[in-house]
Amino acid sequence: MTQTSLSTFLLAGPELTLVVAALVAYLGGAFCGLRQGWLVALIGIAAAACWPGMGLEAGSVVSSGPFTFDDFAVFVRSFVLLAGAGLALVQAGDQFRGAVTPRNTPRGNGTCEEAGTFLLLLAGLSLVASANDLVLLFAGLELVSIPTYILLALKRTDAQGQEASLKYFFLSLVASALFLYGLACLYGIGGSTSLAEIGSRLRSGDGRIVATAQTLLPVAIGMVIGGIAFRLAAVPMHFYAPDVYEGAGPGNAALLSTLPKVAGIVVLLRLLALGTGGTLGMIALNQGVVGPAGAAWLTFFWQLTAVLAALTMTVGNVMALLQTNLRRLLACSSIAHSGYLLVGVAAAAAADSTIGGRPFPGPDTSWTATLGGASATLFYLAAYVAATIGVFGALAYLGHRWPEWSAGSAPRPPREEVATIDDLNGLSGTNPVVAFSLATFLLSLAGIPPLPGFWGKLSLAMAALEVDWTAKATPGSRRVFFLALAVILVINAAIAAAYYLRIVAAMYFRSAKRGVQADGGLGAGIAMLAALVVMAMVTLQPRPLFSAAARAGASIAAPSTIGGFTPSPPQAVAAPQALIQP
Amino acid sequence: MQSSAANLLVLVPLLPLLGAIGTVLLGRRLGPRAHLPAVAGIGAAAVVALLLLLGTAAQVGAGHGDPLRPAEPVEMITTLWQWATVGDARSGDLAGSLSAPVAPGAADSGGTFSIPIALRLDPLTATLLTIITGVGLLVAIYSIGYMHDDPGYPRFFALVAMFVFSMSMLVAASNFLLVYVFWEAVGACSYLLIGFWYTKPEAARAAKKAFLVNRVGDFGLAIATFLLWMTYGTLDFHDTHLADGTIVEGILGQIRLADEAGYVGGAVGTAICLLMLLAACGKSAQMPLHVWLPDAMEGPTPASALIHAATMVTAGIYLITRSAPLFVGCPGALTMVSIVGATTALVAALIATVQNDLKRVLAYSTISQLGYMFVALGTGTMLGFTAAIFHLVTHAFFKALLFLGAGSVMHAMGGVIDMRRFGGLRHVMPITAGTFLVGAFALAGVPPFAGFFSKDEILATLHAKAHPEAHGSDHAEAGSAGERPRDSSAQLGDAALRPFRPASMTTRSSRRGATGEHGSTAEKVGLDALDHPSTWRLLFWMSLLTAGLTAFYTFRAVFMTFTGPVRVPKEAGHHAHESPPAMTTPLLVLAVLSALAGLVLFVTNALSNFLAATPSLTAPAVARTAVPHVFHWDIAIQGTLAAAIGIAVAAIGHLGRRSDSPQLERYLGPLGTLFANKFYFDQIYAALIVKPLEALAMLTAFFDRAIVDGTVDAIGQVPLAWGSAIRRMQSGLVQRYALAGVVGVLAIVLALAWQLRP
Repeated sequence: MTQTSLSTFLLAGPELTLVVAALVAYLGGAFCGLRQGWLVALIGIAAAACWPGMGLEAGSVVSSGPFTFDDFAVFVRSFVLLAGAGLALVQAGDQFRGAVTPRNTPRGNGTCEEAGTFLLLLAGLSLVASANDLVLLFAGLELVSIPTYILLALKRTDAQGQEASLKYFFLSLVASALFLYGLACLYGIGGSTSLAEIGSRLRSGDGRIVATAQTLLPVAIGMVIGGIAFRLAAVPMHFYAPDVYEGAGPGNAALLSTLPKVAGIVVLLRLLALGTGGTLGMIALNQGVVGPAGAAWLTFFWQLTAVLAALTMTVGNVMALLQTNLRRLLACSSIAHSGYLLVGVAAAAAADSTIGGRPFPGPDTSWTATLGGASATLFYLAAYVAATIGVFGALAYLGHRWPEWSAGSAPRPPREEVATIDDLNGLSGTNPVVAFSLATFLLSLAGIPPLPGFWGKLSLAMAALEVDWTAKATPGSRRVFFLALAVILVINAAIAAAYYLRIVAAMYFRSAKRGVQADGGLGAGIAMLAALVVMAMVTLQPRPLFSAAARAGASIAAPSTIGGFTPSPPQAVAAPQALIQP
Repeated sequence: MQSSAANLLVLVPLLPLLGAIGTVLLGRRLGPRAHLPAVAGIGAAAVVALLLLLGTAAQVGAGHGDPLRPAEPVEMITTLWQWATVGDARSGDLAGSLSAPVAPGAADSGGTFSIPIALRLDPLTATLLTIITGVGLLVAIYSIGYMHDDPGYPRFFALVAMFVFSMSMLVAASNFLLVYVFWEAVGACSYLLIGFWYTKPEAARAAKKAFLVNRVGDFGLAIATFLLWMTYGTLDFHDTHLADGTIVEGILGQIRLADEAGYVGGAVGTAICLLMLLAACGKSAQMPLHVWLPDAMEGPTPASALIHAATMVTAGIYLITRSAPLFVGCPGALTMVSIVGATTALVAALIATVQNDLKRVLAYSTISQLGYMFVALGTGTMLGFTAAIFHLVTHAFFKALLFLGAGSVMHAMGGVIDMRRFGGLRHVMPITAGTFLVGAFALAGVPPFAGFFSKDEILATLHAKAHPEAHGSDHAEAGSAGERPRDSSAQLGDAALRPFRPASMTTRSSRRGATGEHGSTAEKVGLDALDHPSTWRLLFWMSLLTAGLTAFYTFRAVFMTFTGPVRVPKEAGHHAHESPPAMTTPLLVLAVLSALAGLVLFVTNALSNFLAATPSLTAPAVARTAVPHVFHWDIAIQGTLAAAIGIAVAAIGHLGRRSDSPQLERYLGPLGTLFANKFYFDQIYAALIVKPLEALAMLTAFFDRAIVDGTVDAIGQVPLAWGSAIRRMQSGLVQRYALAGVVGVLAIVLALAWQLRP
């Protein structure tokens, strides 16, 4: 806690750069008449990406005070900056103002506040990834939430937009309260705010800790995961998503469906590492030992996330089937994708917890981590975020469509937002490039080979199947549980294909009565094309992303070595039963 | 040199691809100039291909003129990127339980299934790339005139450029999987071009037929690929040096080629070869899969010239030549290649004698000539392989010329192609008539035109197989690969061929003891009995008869079209004149090539010497069959005599007569009906395959619609029902959402605490 020094600040350089850029945007907008807020944001993100702290040597771990910088943190940070650049472009191109009437024309200013707030959000998310302390973890998570409220409220000032932002605000407060309560319980168990300390005590097998955990562990883990479920839009905190997405513009919907989910998954994986050790455990004692409390932590973790995963996927997908509004549909599908992501988290937790259905069977030191889960989750997250940014970029770019209006009969009605699936009818004829890109993103989300979404779903399913790979599938065993989870995942992918393909069919096989206007900003178009390029690159050459995700995932689940600042063992990356190693 | 050549090699497929994309993107904007991106792309690729050809030739070495001295293999591999890698693909129960024979050196990679996007450059590839891009360029230029007022103008050029891309990739790929991918890609381009005028029902039907018949062959290639993978543990042609020092021996890599026992013969080897033959039969329109090619003439004539005469249909020849080391270990399969080829050549030639549609005459002629190439390949000798490619090259020139000439006629006649409806066109379109005549001489095999020399080489190869005793000792070994004595000279040649052997070879020789029973010379299959001099004697006479028939039907077409009184159908309208320069220039270029290419290439023997450095042909089993380059007077006289008789009969029947006057086939009686109905192949297939399949399809369609769809629809209602139930929970009231969330979390906590109950 007290090692905070200049070097820590240097390691947190990218976050500090983002904050400085946010200040420039705020002050410049307020006092210097700066209008190009999103340009400042992009420059800030680029500057942050150049910061030397990013270039941490692969495999090395630097833990200093509340921070831990390892492969995981570097992966998430790079990922956040890339996604942030894409989202900033979408936001910049999002000219949405509800129905555009003469009195309600797009305004050019105000973007500086939005851009500054957005930069703070990115900084918060980046901090979450490198947090080694409960306080910083919570603060970082709030630094994600609070700018989100502000962005929601700033961007859309009509009644629907205000309703959405208020809903999000209230429910987010509830979730934060739950999460904080869970953290308090964790502190109660571990007696420290340092994640490394808590983790080492959980795994220590100390009788006192076990006794405390007996009462506090269910509350801690239930509350923590309940609070995170809101960020992920997972069951049981998923209700808000359709209402809020519908009431937000495409830019904010893109933001909501990506960054909070990244934050949620990052926090889940970091907390999961309490049980496994991971790189967080490197500076702590009791390496290679998992005490009863640590084992229970992992067991609860996978049981809970697996059940929530199954529920979330299914609820999200069946809800999406009935939607006609595009943003509501994408909200439901984003719920479903959270479910897929949770499959990977569950597999990561189960892969390392070597105990069966009953808790506290005693210490077991046979570490046969396959590490499939965490890496697969990160890969899927990347594929999902790229496609989602592309989809909303395309929607923001399409903007509005011409209303039905016959000349001379009446005054021209206002332009309408492209909101429903029917609005996309015949898009392949009127805007072929947008239609092609949108179709690519949707097919990737549906998991059609050989697009990135397919590789992601495949590795998630493989991670689930690898749990207890060699064990007999007896009823009630963990293997059966995960087999069922993989089957549910595949069934859900099939259900999801139905509604994604409906949109593709509308674009390609129906004829347009009214063309869309494509009045969105240039930024959204660029974001869409950039996402398309990313899709193409990962499709043709998935290996770099796979290996990056594998490295990052390894620092979550790696069996730790004793001593600080030592590289994590590279052999831990290779999964013995991994069938796919592109 | 290596790296710059590698960069150039990538350009050959890349430039036409860019041309295709450019045409698609800019086509509408460019309007009548929509051909520019495609023509520029193909043209640039043609220049690059020519440079590569010269570069490869320089590497093979000008000094290498002795056909008896084995050539050093020349190849260059460019791995663009590794597409995907699947570890442990061979492990598990499957490979073990099948207990398939495994080639020595197979699966050194630990069973890792990797798919590199790798291109190769060797004499064979360089030759074919030059033909593909060169003929492609001429056809594209010709199409500027031919397609000028077609509404699908940009689409046509995009497809042609796409085809050139796919075909270049097919011959440049260094991996059986990539070959398969682009095998399908050229098939798709062919399908799209046959059905180019898709509103015409015949065109749509022909496209469908071509595609479906080709599927049968593609199926063979797919299974052959699987078997190759099971047997050799890799699909690469080339050797791969892994980072950890191990070497993955490619199927056609230098290490395996140098190894006499490197190829699996016997049942598995024969199966692989026969499946490849099936694939080649599909793509190259050999019996029994030849039925699609005549119908494919419904496409635009330039497409027929490029795809269905000069390039795509030669993919089968390419595949077999490339896989030569696999085939020479299986004499039975090799003989089948020749039997299929000779039968096809004869049957197609017989059908061509009674066709009245000019393009169909040429289509059957293409089938027949491809059959000729198959005959040559089947001999399995060095001369056979090089003669096949030689004939492929000359055929590409003169058949493209004939097709483009036919297109020119068709263009002038307003779309009429029935020879009975016009005549005496040499007065109307002199350039077309003159160039067509050159092409006809080449096709008929009249000296000194191109076809004469290549056909002569094929007949000479056959003759050598049929009369091993007459051709002395240098043919003896070629006679029967199965009984080849493993004499010291072969071993010596082997050693001379490959002075360098990687270190891993020492481990190989010990392993060979264990897998020796699978060696290429050990196991015999029943089919091998076909490989007998009497078979080859029959094939020789069939081929000679075909040569005579070829001359007959070619000149029948020439006389019917260009001689006699001038007659022009009324559809021609104002078109009845010589075609524009964009069309006649390619005709002239091709005419010069058809006239001279054979002579030049034969006298210098440049092509054969060049091709001998192709890695596949440097395999000892092929290389030792090389014979001195001589001109076989006896065979040349026989061939020329056959051609002369054919031309004479055609002249008696048709020269100077009206083309709609009664024809020679009235003397043929029932045989004429048989030929005119194309040996009833279509009817037999319809009765045996199409109708039963249609009945089955109707049955399954009923089952699908009534039972499967019914069940699926019922299941599909379940998520929808859930959805509407869950939707009711989306009340929009924030307090209910919060309540539900908190209740959910409490339920979670209680559920977890329940597990910890004492």
